[in-house]
Amino acid sequence: MKTARRLLVVSGLAALLLVFLLWWEPGGPPARSAKTPLVIYCAAGLKPPVEAAARAYERTCDTPIQIQYGGSGALLSNLRVVGRGDLFLAADDSYLRMAHTIGLIEETIPLARMVPVIAVRKGNPKSIHSLEDLLRVEVALANPEAAAIGNVVRELLRPSGQWDALEKRVHVFKPTVTDIANDIKLGTVDAGIIWDATVNQYPELEMVRIPALNAGEGNISIGVLSFSQQPTSALRFARYLGAPDKGLQEFSRLGYQPVAGDAWAERPEAVLFSGGVNRLAIEETIQRFEQREGVSVTRVFNGCGILVSQMKSGQHPDAYFACDISFMPPVRDLFLDPLNVSETDLVLVVAQGNPLAIRSLADLPRPGLRVGVANPEQSALGALTERLLKELGLLEGVTPNLKVQTPTADLLVNQMRTGSLDAVIVYEVNASQVRDRLTVVPIQHAAAKAIQPYAIGKNSKHRLLMERLRAAICSDASRQRYESLGFHWHTNAP
Amino acid sequence: MIALDNLAVRAGSFALSGISFVIPTGHHGFLMGKTGSGKTTLLEAVCGLKPAVAGRIVLGGHDVTRVKPAARGIGYVPQDGALFPTMTVREHLAFALTIRRWKTTDIERRVDELATMLGLEQLLPRRPQGLSGGEAQRVALGRALANRPHVLCLDEPLSALDEDTRAEMCEVLQTVRRHTGVTILHVTHSLADARKLADRIFLLRDGRLSSEEAGTRVATGGETQAA
Amino acid sequence: MPQPATQTPAKTLERAPSDAPFYLGMGLIGGLYVLLILGLLAADASFTAPRHLWQALQSREIRYAIKLSLLSCSLTAILSVWVAVPIGYLMARQRFPGKPLLDAILDIPIVLPPLVIGLSLLILFQTPLGKAIEKVVPVTYEIPSIILAQFSVACAFAVRTLRATFDQINPRQEQVALTLGCRRSQAFWLVVLPEARRGLLTAATLAWARALGEFGPILVFSGATRMRTEVLPTSVFLELSVGHIEAAVAVSLLMVMAAVLVLVIIRCYGLAETLGRPL
Repeated sequence: MKTARRLLVVSGLAALLLVFLLWWEPGGPPARSAKTPLVIYCAAGLKPPVEAAARAYERTCDTPIQIQYGGSGALLSNLRVVGRGDLFLAADDSYLRMAHTIGLIEETIPLARMVPVIAVRKGNPKSIHSLEDLLRVEVALANPEAAAIGNVVRELLRPSGQWDALEKRVHVFKPTVTDIANDIKLGTVDAGIIWDATVNQYPELEMVRIPALNAGEGNISIGVLSFSQQPTSALRFARYLGAPDKGLQEFSRLGYQPVAGDAWAERPEAVLFSGGVNRLAIEETIQRFEQREGVSVTRVFNGCGILVSQMKSGQHPDAYFACDISFMPPVRDLFLDPLNVSETDLVLVVAQGNPLAIRSLADLPRPGLRVGVANPEQSALGALTERLLKELGLLEGVTPNLKVQTPTADLLVNQMRTGSLDAVIVYEVNASQVRDRLTVVPIQHAAAKAIQPYAIGKNSKHRLLMERLRAAICSDASRQRYESLGFHWHTNAP
Repeated sequence: MIALDNLAVRAGSFALSGISFVIPTGHHGFLMGKTGSGKTTLLEAVCGLKPAVAGRIVLGGHDVTRVKPAARGIGYVPQDGALFPTMTVREHLAFALTIRRWKTTDIERRVDELATMLGLEQLLPRRPQGLSGGEAQRVALGRALANRPHVLCLDEPLSALDEDTRAEMCEVLQTVRRHTGVTILHVTHSLADARKLADRIFLLRDGRLSSEEAGTRVATGGETQAA
Repeated sequence: MPQPATQTPAKTLERAPSDAPFYLGMGLIGGLYVLLILGLLAADASFTAPRHLWQALQSREIRYAIKLSLLSCSLTAILSVWVAVPIGYLMARQRFPGKPLLDAILDIPIVLPPLVIGLSLLILFQTPLGKAIEKVVPVTYEIPSIILAQFSVACAFAVRTLRATFDQINPRQEQVALTLGCRRSQAFWLVVLPEARRGLLTAATLAWARALGEFGPILVFSGATRMRTEVLPTSVFLELSVGHIEAAVAVSLLMVMAAVLVLVIIRCYGLAETLGRPL
């Protein structure tokens, strides 16, 4: 009669033992650092390269990494519900873009490229060499609603009508490329259209490249989740993964086509040459960027003329943010295509209340006036001023009055404040800081404006980083700062 | 003694009402009726396994209408014996006493007593599987009598037995009555058994009761005999 | 005894038709199913090789997954039985308003697709209540989530089994126990439960088996984190996702072997229990 009691006690003890065993980690507490682990949502098909890179990274940077595997779509749904995690690596860009649209992704670092190909068993037993050949065998395709490659292929082949022909003939639609590859390997189908990278994973398969499919593109990238609690650590790993000498080696070893990523450095150091006018606008942005990315961006602010001669003499910054587009051509060959970010007008700044009644540039040649401009060789401001005066035919008249030519606008403004000058020509941005002490006289002329271009060095070791910096500078928060300082946002800027 | 006073019971679609009878102490009362007339329901009510809607149940002088079965001082032998398959015969006989935490020596003594009275000495270590019908009934009886109840409720104890075993059982019941002086309420559909053993016979028909004293003719209308 | 005058004893006995076709038919139908199961196993075995099995066992990941699977399934089985006993008993014995509704509710985990269960659990733990629980015991993506996911489904099966078990136990025995002086709880512990032993074992076994095969909810709710929340079905999925079909099959066979081993042990124990008693 005691069996019932005994049963309860035994099962209770068993349960406690099991709970204990589940919690106890054999070998003592794990020799893990006290750091919070990085949580990565990774598509299951990418496990081999990512796993290998993560293990190497754990040893290098002493950061534990936890990877959640699953189908890309399922992972996306998962992280939307849970709202926790640091990085998202999908089998294809389209998921990342989707995530970005709903505001889940901050930065994206590209990893590898893929091209759709026809996959067949090794030896090509059914002699498939073209899309037409597919119509006479058992074919598996990726479901366009479920897998990005399905969509890509459909878009590629629809115009020529080949998609419809294939669709009728297809034996089965599968949700992932791995499913299709498995099917071909097992023999349930003869061929399928999947990524070349996938085919490289299977020694039993070989690929047939088709010109019509070569235009298709699949990209693998890793995205930093916007709700990550440790974005700096996440970005560091993402950079590691995207470095050609580190993470990307694992990808190319496993048959993926890696992109040209930034070389690995635990704390990259980049150099930015920038005209003085940009300083107030981007200083805070860059500081935030440095903190978030865990990098250091050395800012060199100077007159554009000086910067250009430095560049010509051999100093190559990772990015160049000029005061005006006129100072880009001399060094254009050092950089990739620039992006025009902002514009600012040239203005006259005079003493408070404009006691000398200076209403336009035409008043400047007035005898006895002390005028200050920027040096035309050293700074974009100076060059623009000179060009402007030349166009208006005022250069000769003003020159005798030029008391000083400074390399930067700040010096001019300071001299105005101390009263040693009567009028200076500076950027509106410079003037906006001192509106309470001095008076601004706008210059009505089409040429009285400067456009600031941002260009990334061709040979920079941190191209992607500089792209991310550009994105940060073009972000909404940064734009607000620009406009509050008196800049106008350029129409080309995003 | 067993006394029912205007008892009303419900059981599913069944309703019995105005049931009153008395079985004096030490007497053997029989409750008869067609199948489905509610005999078992009435028995269950006396045992406390079905609630009384109205009326009173008095056992041994105590009003037990609202009392739990455990405290009524009854022994119940259901129709199929309902032995506990996982326990030995000895454990069956000892059950009511183990529950009440009697001293082990006292339990042993009582079990031996019961075993002797009912002829179960050889069967003590056995389990219910494999006992014959008669043996099982005697075990059930012993189990019910262990704690010396005032009242014994039997639900068709003889119906599944063959001729010889039945005769044996009748003798056993008479022995029990002699030794323990217990009051018995015995449900059956066999008039022959009733005639042999009964001091009192009650007939349950259409939810109402009539009584027949052993040997006298049936009289209708809830007459009760004075104890 | 009087005999009809025209009846003469027959020269030969009547021929009763053979029962062989009956047994043959039953055996055939049943045998087909057994053959299907064996066929599946044989196909798997032919696709993989002992070295794959050996490789799988050598992998730290897989060993961890085996340990986690066995431990979690056992815990789930125990918890399922603990919970299913009162529910099953109540459903078998008591009548109360809304009983058919409760019946339907208890069947929901069996009917819901496993993925939906996993997703629902995930969402549940993002509600304020769930978050409060997480502050005390981290659940999502941790080991407790595995137990919870397995339990949600396995318990439903245990309840069904135990309800049938208690249905079959004669309520008379409990009633007799009551008259003999038991409280309801004593009647339950001393009379009903011992008799339900077989049913308890079956329920535990069923729950264990169901928990072992549970995959969908665990993938969604616990994730597939190596050396943390990876159970054997997850290992199969991960191997399959990278095209290692042989490895996937090897792990599957490991699972089958582990399951068969445990089930056989339990059955033997149960059998010994009943056989060991003197009849």
